[in-house]
Amino acid sequence: MTSLSISHLNVNYGSRSVISDLSFDLREGEIASLLGPSGCGKTTLLRAIAGLIQPTSGTIRFGSQLVGVSSVVLPPHKRGTGYVPQQGALFPHLTVAKNIAFGLDRSTHTKSEISKITDEMISLIGMKGFEDRLPSQLSGGQQTRVALARALAIKPKLVLLDEPFSALDAVLRVELRTEVVGLLRELGSTAILVTHDREEALVSSDRVILIRDGKVAQNGTPEEVYESPISPEIAASTGDVLILPAEKLSTGQTLYPLSLDGSGKTGSETGYVVIRPEEIRVSVNASLGIEGSLTHIDYYGHDAMLTVTLPETGALISARVAGPSEFTVGQKVYLQHLGPVRYFSRQ
Amino acid sequence: MGALVIGGVSWIGFGRDTSSDKVEELTIYSGRSEEFIAPFFARWEKESGIKLNIRYGDSAELAAQILEEGENSPADLFLSQDAGALGALSVAGLLSKLPDSAGDQIQSQYIGDNRTWVGVTGRARVFAYRPGAVAKLPTSVAELTSAQFKGRFGIAPSNSSFQAFVTALINEKGEKFAEKWLAGMKANDAKIYLKNSEIVEAIDKGEIDLGLVNHYYVWEVSEALGREINAEISFFSPGDIGNLINVSGVGILGSSKKESAAIELINFLTAKPSQIAFVEDTHEYSLLSGVKAPEGLPKLEDIGAPEVDLGDLEKVQRTQDLLTKVGLL
Amino acid sequence: MVKSGSYGLRALVAGVLITISQPLLYLIIRAGEKPAGDILALLTRSKTVEVLGATVLLLSAVVAINVLLGTALAAGLHYIEIPYPRILLVMTVLPLAIPSYVFTYTWKALVPSLDGIWAATFILVLTTMPYMILAVTISFQRIDSGLIEVSRSLGLTKPAVFFRVILPQVRRSISAGALLSGLYVLSDFGAVSLLNVETLTVSIQNLYKSSYDRSAASVIGLLLFLAAAIFVSMESFLKGREFESRGAEGFQQQIRRVKNLPLSVATTFMLATYAFLAVVIPFYVLISRFLQNPAAVAISDLTTAAISTITVAAMGAAIAFLLSLPLAFLMTQGASTFGSISEKIILMAHALPGVVVGLALVSFGSRLGVLYQSIFLLAFAYAVLFLAKSVASTSSALSLVSPQLKEVAATLGKSKSRVTMEVVFPIALPNLALGVLLVFLTAMKELPATLMLRPTGMDTLATEVWSFAAISRFNEAAPYALLLVLLAAIPTFILTIPRSAKNEASVKAKVN
Repeated sequence: MTSLSISHLNVNYGSRSVISDLSFDLREGEIASLLGPSGCGKTTLLRAIAGLIQPTSGTIRFGSQLVGVSSVVLPPHKRGTGYVPQQGALFPHLTVAKNIAFGLDRSTHTKSEISKITDEMISLIGMKGFEDRLPSQLSGGQQTRVALARALAIKPKLVLLDEPFSALDAVLRVELRTEVVGLLRELGSTAILVTHDREEALVSSDRVILIRDGKVAQNGTPEEVYESPISPEIAASTGDVLILPAEKLSTGQTLYPLSLDGSGKTGSETGYVVIRPEEIRVSVNASLGIEGSLTHIDYYGHDAMLTVTLPETGALISARVAGPSEFTVGQKVYLQHLGPVRYFSRQ
Repeated sequence: MGALVIGGVSWIGFGRDTSSDKVEELTIYSGRSEEFIAPFFARWEKESGIKLNIRYGDSAELAAQILEEGENSPADLFLSQDAGALGALSVAGLLSKLPDSAGDQIQSQYIGDNRTWVGVTGRARVFAYRPGAVAKLPTSVAELTSAQFKGRFGIAPSNSSFQAFVTALINEKGEKFAEKWLAGMKANDAKIYLKNSEIVEAIDKGEIDLGLVNHYYVWEVSEALGREINAEISFFSPGDIGNLINVSGVGILGSSKKESAAIELINFLTAKPSQIAFVEDTHEYSLLSGVKAPEGLPKLEDIGAPEVDLGDLEKVQRTQDLLTKVGLL
Repeated sequence: MVKSGSYGLRALVAGVLITISQPLLYLIIRAGEKPAGDILALLTRSKTVEVLGATVLLLSAVVAINVLLGTALAAGLHYIEIPYPRILLVMTVLPLAIPSYVFTYTWKALVPSLDGIWAATFILVLTTMPYMILAVTISFQRIDSGLIEVSRSLGLTKPAVFFRVILPQVRRSISAGALLSGLYVLSDFGAVSLLNVETLTVSIQNLYKSSYDRSAASVIGLLLFLAAAIFVSMESFLKGREFESRGAEGFQQQIRRVKNLPLSVATTFMLATYAFLAVVIPFYVLISRFLQNPAAVAISDLTTAAISTITVAAMGAAIAFLLSLPLAFLMTQGASTFGSISEKIILMAHALPGVVVGLALVSFGSRLGVLYQSIFLLAFAYAVLFLAKSVASTSSALSLVSPQLKEVAATLGKSKSRVTMEVVFPIALPNLALGVLLVFLTAMKELPATLMLRPTGMDTLATEVWSFAAISRFNEAAPYALLLVLLAAIPTFILTIPRSAKNEASVKAKVN
């Protein structure tokens, strides 16, 4: 496996700029997620790394090897990337075994070598006995596994996964994701996982790279990106958020609906405070916070999302509480913000 | 038969044989259909030991193909159903001048200009009629525009023999006369048929009483149907243009390198045995003076055919335009 | 964005275009031998105007009937509850096996007075309707059933669904069918000449035969090419905007046919009538003629002719396939001006009748010594004549291979050519084979070019039919015609085997 270095990458379709001035690095063995909304350019980026698209300018390096630059371009079949597209894209005319062995060059491997590698891969993905099945006889999850095995069989420098789990149902998605990520870690793969599912991004990767409008919006560990988003929009894309209007005082203090020391003062600057719903403690004990009225409960089983209306401002606060709710709608509750005050000035 | 099978298998090969010394094969483009002429070719192949590559087709189409091929034509000989096609090749300078020894027994009026081709058989224009249906048989082809035949006679304007006849008419009497006559035919409700055989069949059935055909069609239709038919043929009065005698003929391509072998074939076709066979097999006229006429028909020289330059019959375009103009085509 | 790889492809396409443009070149050279004044006189004389008028009338009538009736018949076959839909489909496509001259002979045997432009319209509709039905039926099979279900759930009535959802999606194939039928009408010789209708093609043949004036024939040939060019551009205008219609994705629901008794009866009746007119009647006439004298033709003669026919038609189909590959590959790389112009040129060349291509290759080929009158030259003539069909089917087959599969193959280390060999061809193979079959079947029926270019001594079934019919020996013509139709019926039948709506080229995830 190699490390990846992208520098000032630009990809234009005609006059439209899909990726602009994008840079990030990935160490060997790191798994990164590219997270962003549809159309933000993440798939394009993946394809550029795979060599399926020519960048307009900028460089792509695998380790020390210059792989892609607008003038020097290594074609996709020489890059050694393991590409797993959406919906697997297995070759319909080949069996599972032949699909997996497809990338193994008969000029550099002997027949028995190919056979050995294929068997290894099949065991790795836990599909012994499926060697002679055709893709049309496989379920979605099985197809994704085979696609992964096919990509790994060539001992790629980099594994590129383009929303490989998106076509699967929720339960299978989690199972398969866990399995796949586990496998990638076991093999020490450098991998990029494109996803629009924020949970997937946070749980699977060493590094989350948020893409917006063709640019890197934030690049950090899951904790960094979740706890310390660099903008309210970023915060919203990594998890549920509560955005409250706020004022910054000349003293440095931030005033917002849940701040303890709020009344009376006015600030010099206005902006927003970004709060995670789980950072709010809800209690029936009046001494523990600001009063509000519980207007709505969304019950998710493992937790519940409470909507609390503050009397003065009418602000709606979303708070997450664990487990079965001891609360009822209409109840007076008291809120306490137990997390960092993330202030962003109005921009 | 054997020749056909060999011919059929040899398509695997490529083009023509350009060996010089001992001629082993000759290529003929034949506008005469395989049914009629193949036995003659087979007989000659046996006699001479020379293989014949025969390309069958329509005379005019083959002539046009030869014109297109020009000097590169693989054909050594061209056997045509009518004189017009031969005339076209002659005018284009593609036929070589034949020595007097080739077809020397054929009468001179059946030989092409500059001896570029010789006639092989004679095909006389006649009228066929149903006995008893026509009170007074016409003496001239011009009579067909008169009231007594209104709607009761047939012609085949798209047929090459009829067109050859009209061409001769134009050549002899001028375009105005021809146009008047053709228009008169149309006004007289001439029934249109695609083929001469259809005209004869129609006479037999009683649809029409009379029609302009070639001399051998009554015999041919009778053979095809396997019975006697209710039609007979007759000629117009001697000298009338309606008695035109057209010929099938053969010429040697100037580009051929096998002239002497080709001349042998010509002489075979014009020799008495073949000529007699033509009369018996196809009911056409022989062009040799000594050979009997087809059964029941007057001798060729007794028909009273008009004096016509057969080589001039190649101007069919003008004929077709005229036929179209009067609405017969 | 022109990728560097496609310059090579473009060069190949240009090579193909140059190769097949030889007949056009021939026309221009021959026509140029006439002085300009004569050319003008020829083009403006009343006969030419009449002929042009007849051609346009015939073309419009046949295309209009095909579009309306053909689409209706195909829709009925696919969507309305009818008995034995498979059999009816086969029957409506089977006429593809029957050449137009055989149609004409058999119908004239029953109705001797059959003659004139409306008779020609009738015969040509019978001949060309299958192109329409095939094209539209395949299109129906590819429509995503999900779209139909959604429309129904949105409250659209069934007719509304048909006209507003289904029809727009098959518009392209309707226009493709119209194009093919129209170009066929322009180039047909057999039927129109036997029915005494002088179209441009008949005019060319007549001029060539009667006046031996190949310049005049070539001038009319160019006029025909111009008419074809106008027709092709009109069709592209009618085709409408190209939108990406996605192929069927996801689980394909079997379409429930409309159960409406009057509609079913009407549809079945129309289909049965067409099948009767276009299949039963010709077969009946051929078989009864044959039975009048079954021994008229020796088996060995039939066999020889059949082998020749099959051999040279197969070679022609193979050459056409090879020639179609560059442009088909180019077209899979996305729309380009060069690509669409090339496509149009090939389509217009499709209107050139057999007599023109034959003559052109006689003129050119006679200089080639050994190659002249060889089966290779004849096969090449077939390829030139039918390249348009080959390009259409090859490009369609290649386009069905999902680009994603090609990309994945590339990332797995396969160069472009390996991707083509190991992924594209194996997956596209069934559809590619069907395209080859279509050209093969068409070549089997070809007549005028075959007459001119065949090796001396070789006969095909088509030439034998023609030679015997020309001397009114219908008892001998019948067995050849029957054998030709029966042999051609085999590939025709294969063409009607339904391809599953589930796009074979990409795999659908089954519901887990």
